[in-house]
Amino acid sequence: MDRRQLIKWLKEPLKMSNKYSLHVVYFCTGCGIIEIPPSITARWDAERFGVKPVATPRQANLFLITGYVSLKTLKPIIRTYEQMPAPKYTVAFGSCPIDGGMYWDSYNTINHLDKYIPIDGYIAGCMPRPEAVFAGITHLWTLIDEGKADGYKKYRRNYSQYRSNQERLYGELGWPPRFETEGLENE
Amino acid sequence: MSSIEEKITANFDGIEVRKIEEGRIEVKTKKEALLSTLNFLKDEGYGHLGLVSCVDRIEEGIFELVYILSRYLVGGEVAVDQASLIVKTEVPRGNPTLVTSVKVFETAEPYERELHEMFGIVFSGHPRLTPLFLERDIDLPPMRKDFDTRKYVEEEFESIPPVED
Ligand code: SF4
Repeated sequence: MDRRQLIKWLKEPLKMSNKYSLHVVYFCTGCGIIEIPPSITARWDAERFGVKPVATPRQANLFLITGYVSLKTLKPIIRTYEQMPAPKYTVAFGSCPIDGGMYWDSYNTINHLDKYIPIDGYIAGCMPRPEAVFAGITHLWTLIDEGKADGYKKYRRNYSQYRSNQERLYGELGWPPRFETEGLENE
Repeated sequence: MSSIEEKITANFDGIEVRKIEEGRIEVKTKKEALLSTLNFLKDEGYGHLGLVSCVDRIEEGIFELVYILSRYLVGGEVAVDQASLIVKTEVPRGNPTLVTSVKVFETAEPYERELHEMFGIVFSGHPRLTPLFLERDIDLPPMRKDFDTRKYVEEEFESIPPVED
């Protein structure tokens, strides 16, 4: 541990421990998943950064969406996101989740992922190399430090907007159940 | 022993058989004779249906269905000539119905479901023509050439407003 960070640890232990233990659930959509095995195994070793894959979304706090999102995969993405406990961060991988990428006019790929779930950061590239992933992760640290990675709060504040966008695609969603949104707007 | 081309022309009227290149034989059959052709070819040893696909020939007003058959064993021996047969048939675009080939080749089932979903071809007698890949109903099947993907994306996805904080 870096000694200069000791003060930070004493001041904000929760934030610091969040920051250095990113447990990731990889959502293997699209081509980006090819870059994940090298980045979590010996060659690039994501554990140097405290990034570790976990088995279920209920144990994770970082959600990596690796590539284009088709209509069929958006539904499990919403479900996975809702199952993760707060504080949770989402990072979208590659240019497809940003604006559709090369699937911009496809009838089955959604264009802007941030209309349906909040995204804390994007890693641009088609596809990003493991170095770019780590650049993204270290930038996420800065965002967490500055309190800017607050997508999960935004989701709660604007829950009805997100939900109505999701339901415009699918009709009635069924699961997850609709939360009571009263009183959450000001949180 | 006569070759497969000769056998086919001897058994069916009005069928076109053409050798495209070494190992590929094209068989053009009428829509009504499709099942009997497939049955006949299956008995001849072409027991593997690799693919059913469809070409939208919009200028001619037809859908061309393509069945690719191949064989591995001839009389218990590994086949020497591994030619694949490309069986083609046409259905009109206005009324795209065809009898299902599931009874001959069971592997045709998911392919026909896909063609039903993507091109709107109705396979009569198919056990379940339910959606396979798509999550929602699209009025015009999306793989048809007159489907305007750009317009569809604008109407369905880009009209959704971004979330304002
Ligand atoms: S950004 Fe490129 S690599 Fe990533 S999912 Fe899209 S097309 Fe594939």
